[in-house]
Amino acid sequence: MNQEPRTQNREPGTGNRKPAEILSSIADLELVARIVVEGLVSGLHRSPFHGYSAEFSQYRHYRTGDDLKYVDWKLAARTGRVYTKQFRETTNMAAAIVVDASGSMDFGDGLTKFRYASIVTAALAHLIAGQGDAVGLLARDVFLPARTGGQHLRRLHAALSSLKPAGTWHPADAIRRAADRMNRRGLLVVLSDFYEDDEAAFAELRRARRSGHEVVVFQIVSRAEIEFPYARDLEVADLETGRTIAVNGALARRGYRDAIAAFLERCRARAGADAVEYSLVVTDTPPERTLRTFLLSRGR
Amino acid sequence: MIWLNAAAWMAAAAAAAPVVVHWLVHRRAARLLFPTLRFLLPTRLAAVRRRALDDLPLLAIRVSILILAAAAFAGPLLVSGRRRGEWNARLVRETASPSGTRSLAESVDAAVVRLEAAPPARRELVIAAPLVLGSVTAADLAAVPPDVGIRFERTGELPAERTLTERPLATASGPRSIAPTLTGAQTSAAERAGGAPVSLPLDVHASPQAKAVVNAAIAAVLSGRVWTPGTGRRLRLVVADGGRVVTPGDAERIRVPWMADAVAAIARDRDVRDASARIAAGVDRPPPWRVVARAGDGRAAAMAAARGDALAIVSAAPPADLFTPVLVRAAVEAIAPASDWPRAEILPIPDAQLRAWERTPAPIAAPRVDRIDRDDRRWLWAAVLVLLALEQYLRRSRVRDAEETEVARVA
Repeated sequence: MNQEPRTQNREPGTGNRKPAEILSSIADLELVARIVVEGLVSGLHRSPFHGYSAEFSQYRHYRTGDDLKYVDWKLAARTGRVYTKQFRETTNMAAAIVVDASGSMDFGDGLTKFRYASIVTAALAHLIAGQGDAVGLLARDVFLPARTGGQHLRRLHAALSSLKPAGTWHPADAIRRAADRMNRRGLLVVLSDFYEDDEAAFAELRRARRSGHEVVVFQIVSRAEIEFPYARDLEVADLETGRTIAVNGALARRGYRDAIAAFLERCRARAGADAVEYSLVVTDTPPERTLRTFLLSRGR
Repeated sequence: MIWLNAAAWMAAAAAAAPVVVHWLVHRRAARLLFPTLRFLLPTRLAAVRRRALDDLPLLAIRVSILILAAAAFAGPLLVSGRRRGEWNARLVRETASPSGTRSLAESVDAAVVRLEAAPPARRELVIAAPLVLGSVTAADLAAVPPDVGIRFERTGELPAERTLTERPLATASGPRSIAPTLTGAQTSAAERAGGAPVSLPLDVHASPQAKAVVNAAIAAVLSGRVWTPGTGRRLRLVVADGGRVVTPGDAERIRVPWMADAVAAIARDRDVRDASARIAAGVDRPPPWRVVARAGDGRAAAMAAARGDALAIVSAAPPADLFTPVLVRAAVEAIAPASDWPRAEILPIPDAQLRAWERTPAPIAAPRVDRIDRDDRRWLWAAVLVLLALEQYLRRSRVRDAEETEVARVA
């Protein structure tokens, strides 16, 4: 059921290339987002995102000049008095997407983790903007407040495209900043590998959740990071700090696998404890499948 | 400082091994850019290799271990004043005495060999023997190393008599053997006929007419009894024929001692000089010919040169001249001189001579490295053991620290 047709999203002349590789090779992120979303929405029956439309507040006695469409006629028939319905506010949903653009995301075979996160971010933004909700972006020094409209969406795609993963990242600061900038309850989406300061990052996610935001986490890793398929002597250099250590791949593999499995499980458990919607994403999974799985889970 | 096995310093090249190992490992290890190191514990082997360059104190200790081990194999010997004093306080003494099968000179040689094998100490050779004249000579003592002291002790009695082995005599009636016996101041010789036939090693080059005259001269010489020469001595006599003197073309300058002695002996012979002076005219020949006897005109009446392994003598006198038998006799006696029996008489070596030969053992200046019984390498091995323990401690502490750091980081 989950297996995508192998020819889906395949362009003429692409041979045996995987859909993810094809998406990776398309420079236009907006086009990639369209491709992903168009292959996605056909399977969805209703919108997965719930906006905040007119929210009922209270009744008050009818006054002259009140709009008659807000009169509750059923209540008037039952009680003999005329009441007018009052609403607190009428808004659309606001979403903030936080993308990790640190050096550790610049890793992957063909499709880097950052490119993968960019594709998912672009597709999510396309989906959210498509249903008239506001979407914003925070990635390193790029901050776009949540807004609606096609022009804003194109600006978001352009900002994503201009980013190059490098350096370190402080996830707690970024999450706090994004959550604080949403002046009403909204959707906070974080895409990262959470290798840096994960304790503080999840503390901030918990804080955002308690502030009333809906929090979604995509923890993105590559297959090589999970399996460590190296066997020979290696000088392993940290993509962020440049620090190197010498290891023998075969000797280090078992300990590495145990350590990263424990780390991922710890992240999942923390997210579950804080009611954060958590998805572990491996970059060899096509982005549209990742999104489909995510959206279907929200639709249930 | 003396190194007993300096070649072992070649092993010091192994000090470069840790650096080379690191270099090879470093070259072999592929560089991998990876998102994080937090889940990677450095493997022990790779970490140890890596630390060979990162951890300079550890590298220094390892290099020191290798250098000290090489130095220990090289066998250091610190020649201090105290050690030199210990060596000089010891005296190794070897006694040389004649035995039944070994002469005194041979015993001296054997004692010198034993002294050479002795550990560092002052050395002395004691020659204990009757010290008969000729039993030990200055040439025998010259073979003794100069730092070895020499002392003489007269022991035993002088031998009663001495029998010499002498060359046979060549006579007109055949060979005769001579056995001289020296007893005290008396010398007797037993002579008897027979024995292996001997012939004079004399080749004559002359015309047939002249040769007959020369052979008669040889017979006259043999009738006077002459000693046969030792092996390897030959004489080649060329006699002038009709006033024409032919000198062999392949003559060479005389370089063999017995030839030079023989030429000198002929030249000193008074009969030869008298006979040659009566010859009216001689000849001139360039070197390598040397004048042995001069004629009345001052030119050469007889000349000598080497010709292969033989001494060639050319006579310019007429064959029938008296000079010919005189020259033959002098030449035969010159290549086979009579033995000096008085020098073989049984007499003690004079005390003055012995005192002149005696000397005290010299103190040790530089000991022979192959005779050192105990060097200072044990201290270096002790240092190696200490450094090995230190290296082990440092290595384990580094690995432990690294593991604790990584575990803490992963946790």
